[in-house]
Amino acid sequence: MVLPYLIYVRSCPICGEGLCRVRVCTSDHRLIGCVVCDECETVWKEPEMQEQSANGIDGVTACCPECGMSLWDDACHWADIQEVCLLGWYDRVKVART
Amino acid sequence: MTRRAPPRPTPVRTDTISSALRIIPPRWALAILAVAISYALLQPTLNQWLGWRLPSIPSLLGQSSQPHVAPDSESPAKPPGKPPANETSNASPKDLKFGFLTDIGRDRFQSPAGLIYAPGSEEGHRLKHIERHLKNDPKRPGPHGVFEGDMQDFLKAIDETYRLARGHAKGSKQSTEAGSTVYEAQFGKPIGFLGGTLGAQRGHPKLQRMRIVVRNENIITGFPIQ
Repeated sequence: MVLPYLIYVRSCPICGEGLCRVRVCTSDHRLIGCVVCDECETVWKEPEMQEQSANGIDGVTACCPECGMSLWDDACHWADIQEVCLLGWYDRVKVART
Repeated sequence: MTRRAPPRPTPVRTDTISSALRIIPPRWALAILAVAISYALLQPTLNQWLGWRLPSIPSLLGQSSQPHVAPDSESPAKPPGKPPANETSNASPKDLKFGFLTDIGRDRFQSPAGLIYAPGSEEGHRLKHIERHLKNDPKRPGPHGVFEGDMQDFLKAIDETYRLARGHAKGSKQSTEAGSTVYEAQFGKPIGFLGGTLGAQRGHPKLQRMRIVVRNENIITGFPIQ
């Protein structure tokens, strides 16, 4: 699903080009949120971006910090505004029209 | 008028093989055949993955199968390590993805410098991911480096960045954090322009540097930067 807006925390401190966006994983029938750079795919566990999350066993794939599933799996997607609110992260993100 | 006979194909030593098969017990002949078929199937893959130079079956039988590949005269000194697939495989330029990348199986492709383009990313494949930088995305917040050229030129520039930065060329740099290595190189001429909302604000300045992000020799992304 393509959203008419883009939710992001800030520009990426690693690659300098990407946007660090909120991605959610629902594989565990729970809403697990994380912040992912849409360019270099670095993953952080929270919007403060203090703690990075490790990649998958191949060292390459961006994975959910909790269940370890690929963040590009069908059970994962970019968060919409409602999901960002459910995570309690709304006051820490920016919203841009696309 | 006499007709000239068509040129005969290179003789294959089938007579030798068939006479040898006649004196070998059938069970042994089947085993040898199975080994030969396995070798013929595995030889190119082993050469690509492990950097070996195992001869092909035709070359063992006395037929040459090595195509001529023009050397890349513009390439600087290569970093040490495993030779990339393009330099060990039998692929001709027309077999290469975008005329540049060697298919190493499982939808993975390797560049002459050794970078791997594999499935992954939101777009499903790294090649699709980096393709986003061949055109502007004017509504994207912040910067969006746009490479001016086609996909082959872009892949060559990414390889060049990797080679220059690993060779510590002037104006290049590299840094590693949490498994990601960021390489940057100066090209000394415009290779693209700054797009996105930031590019529009600044009048789309020309860009002469390239930045790539690599994990375990896998390309994650690449784009021109200021």
